[in-house]
Parts: sequence; C-alpha cells; structure tokens
Amino acid sequence: MSKFLVSRYSVLITQYYMIGDSMQEVDTQKIKAMLDQKKARMKICLAACASCSLCAESCFLFMSNNKDPQYMPSYKVVNSLGRLYKKKGKATRVMLEDMRDLIWQNCVLCGRCYCPFGIDIPYMISFARSILRSQGISGVFPHTLGAPEDESVDSQDPISP
Amino acid sequence: MYELARGPLMWVAAIIFFAGVLYRTVQLFLLTRKKQRDLYTAKPVKKQEATTLSPAERKMNLVVAFQNSLIGKNPIMAIVSFVFHFCLFVAPIFALGHSLVLYESWGISFISLPDGLIDVMTIILLVCGLFFLLRRIVVPRVQSISSPSDYLLLFITTAPFLTGFFAYHQWFDYKTVITLHILAGELMLVAIPFTKLGHMVFFFFIRILIGSEYSFWRGNRTWAT
Repeated sequence: MSKFLVSRYSVLITQYYMIGDSMQEVDTQKIKAMLDQKKARMKICLAACASCSLCAESCFLFMSNNKDPQYMPSYKVVNSLGRLYKKKGKATRVMLEDMRDLIWQNCVLCGRCYCPFGIDIPYMISFARSILRSQGISGVFPHTLGAPEDESVDSQDPISP
Repeated sequence: MYELARGPLMWVAAIIFFAGVLYRTVQLFLLTRKKQRDLYTAKPVKKQEATTLSPAERKMNLVVAFQNSLIGKNPIMAIVSFVFHFCLFVAPIFALGHSLVLYESWGISFISLPDGLIDVMTIILLVCGLFFLLRRIVVPRVQSISSPSDYLLLFITTAPFLTGFFAYHQWFDYKTVITLHILAGELMLVAIPFTKLGHMVFFFFIRILIGSEYSFWRGNRTWAT
C-alpha cells in the first residue's frame, strides 16, 4: 500500500483501516456475482485496451504528479478491475486495500480520460469502486477522519453516494 | 509441411478468423441497443454558435481542437501508429506474390502494387514495430502496463512481415522461410478475434457506433448492460 502516495495522510489511513476492517472476510462469491453481471462488456473493454498509454496525457492527476505511471487511467483500470477479472473474483483483503488507493486516491472520476479506442474508463473505475464498496472498502480522505459521523450518510461510505 | 500450411491449415485459419470476427460483431450488436432520441438536440445550438463566431474565433477553435487532439499531443506516436496500421493492411493485400498465389489456386486475378513499393512498406512497418517495442521497454508509462502478452502480440503481428521480407529477398532457405511465413500469417489471423488484436473489430464499434464524447460519428447505439 505504501508503494504509492507515501504521505503523512496515507499512513494515518492505513492505521485507521488496520484497526477497523482488515479482520473482515472477503465475500468472493459476491464479488464474482457482481463481476459476472457485466462480464461480456467489461471483458471486451479490457481486451480492446492495447496498452498504448495514450490516455496518460488526458489525466490531470498524471500531468500534475510528475507523470507518475500510477496515475495513468489505463494503469488504474488494469490494476483494479483487470486484476479482479483475472483472478475471477478471488481477491484478498490486502489486494482490495491496494486497489482503494488506485481508484479513490489516484482518481477523482472527472471523466476527462481520452481513449483512442473509446473505452469508457470512468465507467470501469466506478464499477470497480462499487465492487470494493460491497466489501466495506471505500475512499477515506483526511478531513473525514476526525469528523463526527453524519447519521444521514451511510457510515461505510463517507464520500460518494 | 509446406503443402499442409498452404492447404488445410490456411482454410482452418481463414474459417476461424472470419467466424471469430462475425462472432465478435454479433456479440457487440447484442451487447448494445439503439439509443433513444434525445429531447434536446445539440444541432440548433451548434448552428447558432457558428454564425455568431468571427472567422478569427473559428480559426482559434480549430487550433485549440487540434492541439488537444491525439496528433497534437502525441504527434510521433499518432503518425507512427497510423503508418503502421496503413502498411499492415495495404502491404499484404496488394503484394504481388499473394496475387499470384490467388491466381494459381482459384484463377482470380487481383490488382497488385509494384514489388519495390511493398518492400519499402514492409521495411517501414518493421521499423514502426521496432519503435513500439523500444517504447514499451524504455518509456516508464508504457512499461508499467505492459504484460508479456503485449510483447507476444507485437511479435505475432510483425513475424509475417519479417519472414515475408526474408522470403522476398530469398536470404535463407526459401522453402523453410516461406513455410514459416505462411504459418506466421495464419497464427496472426487466428489471434485477431480472441486477443487484444481484436481491436480491429472493437475499434470501429466502440469509437463509431457507440455514442460517447469522443465518437467519430453520431453514435446512435449505447451499451445495453
């Protein structure tokens, strides 16, 4: 996890999640069911990617982080949703925690990614997010760490609806 | 081996290729549906904008659009990949040797380009392939998403051209080289529908038929799932 984004915040977040959720079992059946729902379409989108890396320049996070490949749209998709499909849903908690950084910290879902093949990258990242959310993993941002819980918002999902 | 590669294996490869492409096309049509017409169309707004803009502003819009396009942002990669794909299609279809094989087998005479031109196109394609390979190895952002299959597919794509180049210049044992050439071509045909080379089919679907911000044409289909 500390492979990317070694900031003082990510250490905080790691500690927070080590206490909270790391003991939970991963429901691989549910992940597989979710993956199978959109299997045909997602497999085509993943297969259409020729790993040309031309999507890199369209991501403002890539441009503003010293062109670090970790921020490249295709990298985020291939290493989150692509990995889940490769393992057919048999994910471990550590693996999912690694993905959280990729698809929440490294992506804001602005939808500006350009793919020469027209692959809908934001859709794939949001799909990966919903799979991770079903396992109780979601993006945690520094300002929400100390904030009091808002009862009207799902406690597992402080940021996105 | 030569007779086997030229006869039955060619049929098998061709059938797998055409059946696979057809399967992919049907699958993509089944996965998408026709889009419902929008209540608010963009057309009248566009027209109005076009009339209120001055020629200088219109020119500036074009310049900005060009700078933000693929060729403006990544000119070398865009040109190299265009040339690569152009040679990939034109060189094998219009090669004189292929026309001769077609004439000998079925008696169909097909137009062909001069041998020298095809030779130059093959060299250009191989150089472009080398560029892609070096790019995969050297540039960090490409390296980070390259899997062994990417290297393998680049090899599968360029192998028929490499062996064809050797066969045309008769550099090594001709019989072996031409057999390898046929086998490599068949391998590429078989690989197209089932691997990443499938972007031959996917590209036109996803970019043209399915509507998105970047579709080339008014995409009037959308994903069903």
